[in-house]
Amino acid sequence: MIRVSHLNKSYNYPNMILKDVSFEVKRGEFVYLSGPSGAGKTTLFRLLFADLKPDSGQIMVDGVDLSRARAAIIARLRRRMGVVFQDYKLISSYTVFDNVALALEVSGSPRSLIQKRVWEVLKTVGIERQIDRFPPQLSGGEQQRVAIARALVNSPRLILADEPTGNLDHEIAEEIMRIFNYINSRGTTIVMVTHNRALLQCFKRKVFYLDQGNLQAYVWPD
Amino acid sequence: MSYMPDYIYPLLKLTANNIRRHPVVNLISISIIAIAMLLLSLYFLAYSNAAQLVSTWRADLRIIVYLDDDISEARLADLKNFCRELDEVINLQYVSKEQALENFKKTLGDDAGFLDDLPENPLPASLELSLDRKVAAVADVERLARQLKRQVGVEDVVYGSYWLRHLFSLLKIVKYFGLLFAAFLSVVTIFIVASTIRLSLYSRREIIRVLYLVGATRTFVALPYLLEGIFQGTLASLLALGLAYGGYVGFRNWLKLQVPQWSISTQLHFFSPLTMLSFILLGTLLGIAGFLLSSRWGFRD
Repeated sequence: MIRVSHLNKSYNYPNMILKDVSFEVKRGEFVYLSGPSGAGKTTLFRLLFADLKPDSGQIMVDGVDLSRARAAIIARLRRRMGVVFQDYKLISSYTVFDNVALALEVSGSPRSLIQKRVWEVLKTVGIERQIDRFPPQLSGGEQQRVAIARALVNSPRLILADEPTGNLDHEIAEEIMRIFNYINSRGTTIVMVTHNRALLQCFKRKVFYLDQGNLQAYVWPD
Repeated sequence: MSYMPDYIYPLLKLTANNIRRHPVVNLISISIIAIAMLLLSLYFLAYSNAAQLVSTWRADLRIIVYLDDDISEARLADLKNFCRELDEVINLQYVSKEQALENFKKTLGDDAGFLDDLPENPLPASLELSLDRKVAAVADVERLARQLKRQVGVEDVVYGSYWLRHLFSLLKIVKYFGLLFAAFLSVVTIFIVASTIRLSLYSRREIIRVLYLVGATRTFVALPYLLEGIFQGTLASLLALGLAYGGYVGFRNWLKLQVPQWSISTQLHFFSPLTMLSFILLGTLLGIAGFLLSSRWGFRD
């Protein structure tokens, strides 16, 4: 699903944020991207959905070479993946329904399908009762569920999540993690950025550990 | 083609949201464009009416040839023949001294009493020449008048071309100034629309960011702003046309009350449907131009 080869990135050359990073995520895997603050996790995360361009190296996501792809190709790829952020990135002036529906509207899905699909995903994440409310009227956990619903609504093959539990208390964070596990169990590949060690211990998965721009992969030890 | 409405609906929804959620920005923008368009429409309305009035007066151009009091019948007949043979003259009317006095009395109405006390009729006989509008250019009238004045038995020649010539020159200046004025107002309007859209882009960067994240193309993100520019330009030009029409009707009624004996108010005209359509189209194009200018600043992923 994802193949990163010899990836280099700097914002202020020669201070490299990512140094010769290579890794692979197979279809259906659930992996963590972890490491201390400033290790380059968020930069790598943004590179994976083409929000940034690499200085050198190759990023292949679902068969698309992100370092060469044109804007239209990237737009099409983003419709096949879901992205979840720590700060939710919901549109505060849109209702829950409109926020989730937006992901289908940009691809020109029929309105009848949008109605049906939005309801389904909201039910999957357990927030269907809040369908007509606005994000500021919801709790942090509820907003993150809406963000996950938006990421899910296109039935993506890949979900990228950047610290999705970072703003939530432990109980709510566990609920969110259970939703991600459920999504993964249905075949969706998930790459999750987190520095929450408790979460890594609780939901054990393969971890790609970043430290000062260098990457190493390992499974969290028991 | 069957999926087209599915693309159009969210675009219209986004456009409506943009407009609804930023009413003040839109109101300011529409008002400023409408004011610019109103100035433009009033200017061209005044110009086109002035041009038409002058052209009507030009079509009525006449030369009056005043005759010597002692002109002989034979010379008068020769002079009439001379005038009839001129290409520019389409009609000739002889006004005798007595008829001239009668006409003058009619013009003076109740004030004409003093004319009866005059020892003799002071008014000369005249030949009134109506000119063919096709050859009645100002220069032709002047040349013709000079030619007639040289004839024996002619005391004086009167024609209205002196002030008409100045009016023509003035209208020409007004026309060119109007084009400059229109260009200036258009540029100002484009910048206003562009600035409004830029302001909108800034205040809606959260939505734009999310749209790109969920896979919207640049076209999808930009189109609502194009539609907003079109909406602003079209609505503003309609508003300006409505206000201009109100002003036109008001001015015509005022003129009718002020100078009821003068038929000028009935000769005034508003824009033709085609001109109005072009005007609305101009507003729409200004909206599009504003969008294109603003798109240089925004819509980046």
